[in-house]
Amino acid sequence: MNFTAFLNGMHLTPFSGAAYAVAWVIYLGYLAHILLRMKKVTAEREELERSVAAAPKRAVLTTETQRH
Amino acid sequence: MKKLVPVSLVLIVVLLGVSSYLALAVAPTERTMGDVQRIFYYHVPSGWVAGFCFFLNFLASVVYLWKRSGASDAMAAASAEVGVVFCSVLLITGPLWARPVWGIWWTWDARLTTTLVLWLIYVSYLVLRRFSVGGQTQVLAAAFAVFGFADVPIVYMSIRWFRTQHPSPVIGGGEGSGMAPGIAHVFFTNLALFTVMGILYLVLRYKLQMVEQALESAHAQAALKGVA
Repeated sequence: MNFTAFLNGMHLTPFSGAAYAVAWVIYLGYLAHILLRMKKVTAEREELERSVAAAPKRAVLTTETQRH
Repeated sequence: MKKLVPVSLVLIVVLLGVSSYLALAVAPTERTMGDVQRIFYYHVPSGWVAGFCFFLNFLASVVYLWKRSGASDAMAAASAEVGVVFCSVLLITGPLWARPVWGIWWTWDARLTTTLVLWLIYVSYLVLRRFSVGGQTQVLAAAFAVFGFADVPIVYMSIRWFRTQHPSPVIGGGEGSGMAPGIAHVFFTNLALFTVMGILYLVLRYKLQMVEQALESAHAQAALKGVA
């Protein structure tokens, strides 16, 4: 069965077609939004972890003797 | 856990496809309204999932006020956002069904008005979470959510308490209400499919919220170390 025949089997009216199209756009759009945000946040976290690991370890308390 | 995202993605698309196919190709044509009645199979399940999410948001907010746990706050944020998405579909598909059946897009009857107010309450909740500054955001949001939930039972009961343009309940509506077996079969199947879909969105959104919370605390730790 090709796609046109499949669509012909659907009992669509302009209003129900619009309702289903809008619902699909909202549900899939929201899914894409979640996935993109997840990707962005994960990348940001990895970047932060890299910069923390690369940062020089600093002594919090030092004395004049230790410094020289 | 790494497979959660692709598996959820595929499952959601499959659930959307199957529910659309059942509604548009398998369900029988309703005698009075004709094919436009098929909006029912997306409209009502979307409303059911929205109500379920707002109930979860209420529970999570109560738990947060009691225990102050990050997990309950994450669940509250996730359920409110997913609820707003499903409630938006409810509010858009409703007028698209009303126009050919009632001859109008919208009327300020009790069911429609309380549903719009419900949507506005949870949009306000999300705005509060997004733009509030200071350390009390979660507490304020949780208190707001507890009071905001009061509208959910009003929405549910509105078609029982008031005479409305919106139809009376077909489930639990008393004598003379109900659905033909073919319609009921597709309706309850779609209700189950939408419930699973809602849970998948909740899991994904909750996971995202937890990752965001972890990032926030990692930023704070890094700032303490003088890195960020």
